[in-house]
Amino acid sequence: MEEELRVRLNDHQPSKIFPVKPKSTPKTLSKPETPDSRYWSSFKPHSIPNLVSSISAVAFSPIPPHSFAVAHSTTVSLFSSNTLTTSRRFSFKDVVSSVSFRSDGALLAASDLSGTVQVFDVKERMALRSLRSHKAAARFVKYPVHDKLHLVSGGDDGVVKYWDVAGGTVISDLIGHKDYVRCGDCSPVNDSMFATGSYDHTIKVWDARVGNSKWIAEINHGAPVEDIVYLPSGGMIATAGLNSVKVWDLIGGGRMVCSMESHNKTVTCLSVGRMGLEGENRIVSCSLDGYMKVFDYGRGKVTYSMRFPAPLMSVGISPDSSVRVVGGSNGMVFAGKKKKKARDEEEKKKASVMSFWSVKSEVDESRRRALRPSYFRYFQRGQSEKPSKDDYLVKESKGVKLTRHDKLLKKFRHKEALVSVLEEKKPADVVAVMEELVARRKIVKCVSNLEEGELGLLLGFLQRYCTVERYSKLLMALTKKVLETRGEEINGKEEFKGILRNLKREVNQEIKIQQSLLEIQGVIAPLMRIAGR
Amino acid sequence: MPINKDPSTPPPVIGKIGPYTVFMTPPATPKPPESPAAVSQKPNLPPPVLPPPQQFKSVASSAQDGSVLGFFKNAATKVQNAHSSVDDHLVRWFGLNQSKYQWALDEYYEGKGSKNRKKQEEGFRAFKRTKFCASASFYPEPPSASPSTLAAMIRGGRSHLTSPPSFSNDAKKLLVCTGNTVSVFSAATGLQITSLEGHTAPVTTLLVVPASTAAQKILSYCWTASLDGMIRYWDFSGPELLKTVDAKVPIYSMVIPSLLSEPQQVDSSKLVAYVSVEDASLVKEGSKELRGHIRRFDLAKERLSRGDTLKETEEPKSIVISPSGEFFGIRHKCKIHVWGVPSGGGSRNAVAKKMTLHHTKVINAFAFHPTERIIAAGDVTGRVLIWRGFGNRKLALGSQKKSVRSVVDLDNPGVRDGDDAESCTTWHWHSAEVNVLNFSSDGAYLYSGGREGVLVVWQLDTGKKKFLPRIGSPLLYFIWSPEPTLSSVVCADNQIHLLKMPSMEISRTISGIKPPPSLPKMYEGLSSTVAFDRSSGIAALCTENYCVQLYNLLNDRGISEVQVCERNHQPGDEITVVVTAVALSLDGSVMSTTEVKLPEDGIGGLVSLKFWESEPDNKTFTLSTIVYEPHKDAGVSAIAFHPTRSMAVSTSFGGDFKIWVCNSDKSQTDKDSSWICHAVGSYKKKPMTAAAFSGDGTVLAVAAENVITLWNPNKNILLSVLGATLTPITKLSFVGKSEFLVAASNFPKPELSVWNTSKLSLSWSYELRIEAVTSAVDSSTFAVLALVPKSFRKSKSKKNIFRGRDGAILLFNGSDPKPVSIWTVMKAQGGSISFLEGDKSQLRLAYVNGSHEYVVFDPNSDDTHERSAIDYEGLVGDEETGDFGYTSLYGQLPDYDKKRKDDAESLATPFVSSERPWETIFSGSTLNFPPLQKLCGEFFESLMEKSNSVVE
Repeated sequence: MEEELRVRLNDHQPSKIFPVKPKSTPKTLSKPETPDSRYWSSFKPHSIPNLVSSISAVAFSPIPPHSFAVAHSTTVSLFSSNTLTTSRRFSFKDVVSSVSFRSDGALLAASDLSGTVQVFDVKERMALRSLRSHKAAARFVKYPVHDKLHLVSGGDDGVVKYWDVAGGTVISDLIGHKDYVRCGDCSPVNDSMFATGSYDHTIKVWDARVGNSKWIAEINHGAPVEDIVYLPSGGMIATAGLNSVKVWDLIGGGRMVCSMESHNKTVTCLSVGRMGLEGENRIVSCSLDGYMKVFDYGRGKVTYSMRFPAPLMSVGISPDSSVRVVGGSNGMVFAGKKKKKARDEEEKKKASVMSFWSVKSEVDESRRRALRPSYFRYFQRGQSEKPSKDDYLVKESKGVKLTRHDKLLKKFRHKEALVSVLEEKKPADVVAVMEELVARRKIVKCVSNLEEGELGLLLGFLQRYCTVERYSKLLMALTKKVLETRGEEINGKEEFKGILRNLKREVNQEIKIQQSLLEIQGVIAPLMRIAGR
Repeated sequence: MPINKDPSTPPPVIGKIGPYTVFMTPPATPKPPESPAAVSQKPNLPPPVLPPPQQFKSVASSAQDGSVLGFFKNAATKVQNAHSSVDDHLVRWFGLNQSKYQWALDEYYEGKGSKNRKKQEEGFRAFKRTKFCASASFYPEPPSASPSTLAAMIRGGRSHLTSPPSFSNDAKKLLVCTGNTVSVFSAATGLQITSLEGHTAPVTTLLVVPASTAAQKILSYCWTASLDGMIRYWDFSGPELLKTVDAKVPIYSMVIPSLLSEPQQVDSSKLVAYVSVEDASLVKEGSKELRGHIRRFDLAKERLSRGDTLKETEEPKSIVISPSGEFFGIRHKCKIHVWGVPSGGGSRNAVAKKMTLHHTKVINAFAFHPTERIIAAGDVTGRVLIWRGFGNRKLALGSQKKSVRSVVDLDNPGVRDGDDAESCTTWHWHSAEVNVLNFSSDGAYLYSGGREGVLVVWQLDTGKKKFLPRIGSPLLYFIWSPEPTLSSVVCADNQIHLLKMPSMEISRTISGIKPPPSLPKMYEGLSSTVAFDRSSGIAALCTENYCVQLYNLLNDRGISEVQVCERNHQPGDEITVVVTAVALSLDGSVMSTTEVKLPEDGIGGLVSLKFWESEPDNKTFTLSTIVYEPHKDAGVSAIAFHPTRSMAVSTSFGGDFKIWVCNSDKSQTDKDSSWICHAVGSYKKKPMTAAAFSGDGTVLAVAAENVITLWNPNKNILLSVLGATLTPITKLSFVGKSEFLVAASNFPKPELSVWNTSKLSLSWSYELRIEAVTSAVDSSTFAVLALVPKSFRKSKSKKNIFRGRDGAILLFNGSDPKPVSIWTVMKAQGGSISFLEGDKSQLRLAYVNGSHEYVVFDPNSDDTHERSAIDYEGLVGDEETGDFGYTSLYGQLPDYDKKRKDDAESLATPFVSSERPWETIFSGSTLNFPPLQKLCGEFFESLMEKSNSVVE
C-alpha cells in the first residue's frame, strides 16, 4: 500500500503528444559483435588499382613507418603505409615470386621466376647483388628475422639454398624436397632455423648450423604446401595446403594442434596478425575463393571472415597492426588502414604507458588542462561532464520534438502536412503521415484538394514506391484512388505522362515478379508437403 | 459413462444432433473416415517486423495419432455428423427433446419447500449450492437486491459520473457521488479516505456547506439528496450521519440558496431547499403528464407540498444555482428559466420571481456569474451565449427597481423575444455540444468544455481563450475548489482529473474503471476486451482511447494505463482505430494486444499484434514486439497464452493460427527479448475463432469455425479433430487440468458444450448463449456467463424474478452437467468472468459486466447464500416455473433446451394422446437398457401415430 502510494506520488502525466512515426522495421538478427569482428572490421578499406597482373607477394618493412613492398608481374612496388601511395619501383626480368625485407628495413630481397634472387637497397634503384644459382624458377626468398648477412631461398628445382649475401655465394644447398619448393619462413627465435614447404606435401625444418644438408624435422601436411608461417612463439608453424590451414607444434615433435578448413578453394597465403598492441595473435589466411579469414588458433575457431571481389593471392599485416594489405589475382591491392580514432586510442594507450615513466609529460598534460577565462573552453567547461556516482541528478523533462508535418497535423492542416512530408523525400515518413490521414478519414479529401504541382509530387512518390513491398498495400490503393478522382486532370497534362508511363511499367514488372514467385511456390509446395510427411 | 473400453468395437457416442444431445451407437464396423482432413502447412512466412522464424515444423496429416482407439472414435464422430440431419428427426420423434429427463430437476423442485431435507437425501442430484443474486449493477436497483453488505464480496467499478463532485472547504478532500454512497478522496494523493453510506439509491446531489470565515474551514458538513427520496446531512470528516429528511419522492437535484447567500445565519432547522423531483404517482400511471417538478421544500418541516411547485416539466431537470445564492434556474429545451430567491429565506410566503431566456437551439448547460447578473449558456451546436444584465426588470430587488426601469426601452443587442437582459453575445469555438460551463470564483474567466475533450478558458471581458487539450474524453463537470490553485474536471471515461490551476496541468487523476470501447461489428461477441491477472486480481481492460487500463479489482482503483496505440483520442469521432483484444499470461508478466486500423475507402487499414512485458516495479508494461499484419489482412480473433512457457497463439478469421514464442531465453538480456513466429497452422482454410491451451500446456485447442482441432503446440502437429458443432465456436477453455474442454458458440444457434478430449466425444451440452467462460487452474471447476433469452425473461411469471437481470453465471464442477451454483446478474451482454486465484489458495470469481461494473466473490462461500435469502426464494421460483430442462440419459446426461420446450408445448397435443413407452425406458440405469427390437417397435408405432394425427 505504502509502496503504491509512493509510486503514485512520483508519477507524472506522460506527454500526450504523439508525433507520427513510421512503422518500425525489423532488427537484423545479427550476432552480437565480438571483439574480433570489431577489430578486424575497423580497417578502413582503401583499394589500390592499376597494378598489372596478380599480386604474388606482399612484405612489410620491420622498421617504422612500416612501408610495404608489393610484388606484381615483373615489378616490386614500394608503398608508404601512411599514404598508401607508391614511392619506388624495382623492375625485374621475369615475374617476381617473393619479396622480403631485411631486419633493419634497409635492404630488400626478391626472387623471380628466372631463378635469380636480387637484393636491393630500398633507397636505390639498382640491385646490390644478383644471386644466381637456382636452376629453375625461384619461389621464395626470406631474410632471417635478425640476421643481416644471410638469405634463404627455394625454387622449383627442389633445392633450398642458404646464401651469404655479401659474397653472393651459396653457403649450403639443402636437398631433401622431392618436388617444387614453394614457400618457407625463418624462425623468429633462432636465426639459423627455417622451415620450407614443398609440393611433395612435406614441410621440412632446417638448421643452417648442421652441415650435412639434412633436415632436422619433417611434417606431412597431406597436400601440396602453398604457404608456411612461423607463429611468434617460434615453436609452432602454420601451413596452408589446398583449402586447409594446419597448425603444428614443432617442439612437440610435429604434432598437429588444430586445422581450419573453412575455405572453399586453395589457400594461397598466410600471415600472422596481432589484434592491437597487446592483443592476441591470429592467423590471417587468404584464398582463391575471395575470402580473407581470421583464425584464432588458440580456440581453433574462425573469428572473422571477409569477402573480396577477386581471388586473393597474398596477404600482409604491418608489424604495428595498423595496415592490412591483401593482393588479388586481378592486380588489385585491397589495403586497409586502421581508422584514425582507433589508432589514436592505441597511441594514447601507448602514451599513457610512456607517461608512467616520464614525469615531464605528466607536467605537460596538467598545464594543457588548466583552463583560464581567456580560453573559449573555459566557458564550456562542465558541459560534457559525466555525473559521478553519488551526484544527485536533476532531470529536465524533455519536450516532444515535432517535425514540420507533425506541427501541421496538430493544426489539422492535413493537405499541407502531406505536401510538406512529400517534399522531405523520406518514404517511411510519408507513409506514416498517410496512415495517420487514413485514421483521421482525411486522405481522400487531401487527394481531391491537391493542386497541380502537389499532385505531380504525389504521383512521383507513388510511382517510385508503390511497388515497394512494405508500402505497397497502402500505396497501391491510394494510387488507384488518385487516378480515379483526379483522372481528367492527370490525363491532359504533358508532365504527368512520363510518370504514368513509369507507373504502368513498375506495376507490370511487379505483376511479372509475382507470377514467377507463384510459379516457384507451385514447385516448392509439393516438395514441402512431402518433406512434411 | 457406460463407454465400452474395448477398442475394437466402437463405443456408444454421446452426440449432438441438431439442438439435442442424444445417445447413439455407431455401426459396428465404422466406415473409414472421409478423406483425411486436409491440413495445409504453409511455409512459415515471417511477419513483417520479425526475423524469420527459427524452425519449420511439419504437420502430420489428419488424426492418425497412432491410437487405434482414437481412430475409431474419430470415425464414429464423423459418421455421427454425417447422419445428423436424419437423427434430428429421429430425436424429435423419440421425444428426447421433451423435458422427459427433467425428473432430476422435478425432484429437486418438489423438495423446494423442505430444501434442507431434500438436499441431504438427494445430495448428488440436487444443486449443492443454491443461488444468490450478484447484481452488479446499481442503477436503478431494488434495495432488496443489494448484497453489498456481504463480507466475502468486493463490488466496484462504480461510476464517478452520476453527479458533480465537490471539494471540502479546505480543498483537501474531494467528495464524489459513487452510486449509493459518497466517496471521499484525498486531493493530495488521489486515494479514497472514507465513504458516506446510508442512501439506498444513487445519490444525485451533494452540497458541501460552505465556510464563511477562515475558522470554519475545518468544518465538514454536507447535504446529500438521493433517488430514494431521502435528504441527509452528514459530517464527512467522521463520517457521521447527523440528520435525515424524508421527502418521499425521488430527488434528482437540490439547491439550498441560503447556504450561499447567508452562510453566517445557517441554521439547519430553518433551511429552505429547492428540489427537482419526479412525481412517482404520475410515473406509475404511465401518463404523459409532466413528471418533473421544481418545488420549494422546507427542510425543517419535512414535508413536500404540491402547492410549492414552481415549474413542471416532462423530465426532472437539474437545478443550477448562482454562486451568490440569489438566483437559481433550470434549462428546458431552448429556454432557461431563472428564479430569484426571495430575500429573507425564513419567510414562508415569499414566492420566487421567475423569468425566461430564449435561444434557438437546445441548451445543454448554463452557469451564473458569481457576482454580476451574467448567465452563460452552451447549446448543442457548441455555441456559448453570454447574457449580461438579465432580470433587471423582472427579478429586480426592491431598491433597484425604479432606477432600472428607465433603461427598458433601450435597444438590447442580441437579446431574443424581448427577454429581460441587456445584451447577449455569442462565442463559438466548440465543434460539438457544450457540456461544461462554469465561471471562475472571481468571475473573470469562464470555463467551457464539451465532447471534444478540450477545456477552454475564456477571459470574460475580452473573449481570449486558453486551452487544456488532449484530455481524451468528453468532459462532464468542471468544479473549482476554495483553494485557488486547485480545480477538478470530470470526464466521461470515469476519470476525475485534479488540475493545478493557473497552468492547467493535470496533477493527479482519480481513476475509476473505464467504460468499454465500442468495437467494429466483426469483433462484437468475441469480447476479449477484458483480461485478468489471476494472482494479483488485476484486470486489463481495453478502453476507448487506445489504451489498456490496468485496474485492481480488489482495491477498486486504477493502477496505470498502457498506451497501446500512439495516437490521441478524439472523442466523438468516427471509430478508425480500436484495440480489439487484450490477453494476459497466467502469471501476468506478458500482455498481448491487437489493434485494428480501419481503412478509409479501401485505403490503408492495418492489423497489428503487440506483445508487452511487464515491469514489476511500477506495474505497467513496456512494448516488446510489434507484429504488423500477423495474419495478412485478416483480423485476429483470439489470443491465448501458454500456461507455463512463454508461448502464445493468435487465431485469425483468415483461416490460420500462429504460435509465437519469446526468444528471450537465448543468452540475451531482457531488453532484447522478442516474440517470433514459431509455427503456422490451418485447418481446411476455415476461419479460426478461438483457442485455448490445456492446463499443462501440452495440447492446444483451436476452434476452426465449427470443429475443434487439437494440436501439439511444440511440434505443430494436428492431434485430432473433435466432432462438429452446428455453429461457429466463439469460446474455448480447458477445464483445469482435466481432459474436458468447454466450447461455446453463439450465433445463430447458441450452444455450450463440454467435450472429453481423451475420449474425443461430447460429454454434454446446453443450448445457452454464452458470453464468457473461465476455468480454475487447479480444480476442475469452471464457470460460464450465460445470457438469458429475452423472450424467456419477459414472460410474466419471471419478470419479477429477473428484475432486469439478463444473465446468469453458472458454476460447474468437472464433467458434472448440473451446475453447482447459479447467480443471476445484470448487464451480462459484453460481460466477462474469471477466477481469481490469490496466494491463499482461495478461489474467487470476478464478474465484470457490460458497463464495467464488477463484483468479486467467493463462489464456494455459504454465508452469501444465507444472507440473501430473498433472492434465493425468488430464483427458486424461477427454476420451478422455468424450463431449464436437466435431463439425464444415463443418470448423468442432461439436456437443456428451452426453446425447444416452447415449441414442444404448442405441438404437444398429438403426442399427448398417444402412449409413449419409450419415454420411460430410457430413464434408468444402463443395465436396463431395452433391446433394439423393442425400441424399434415403439418407435415405428410412434411414427405411424404421428402421421395419422397429421392427416386428420
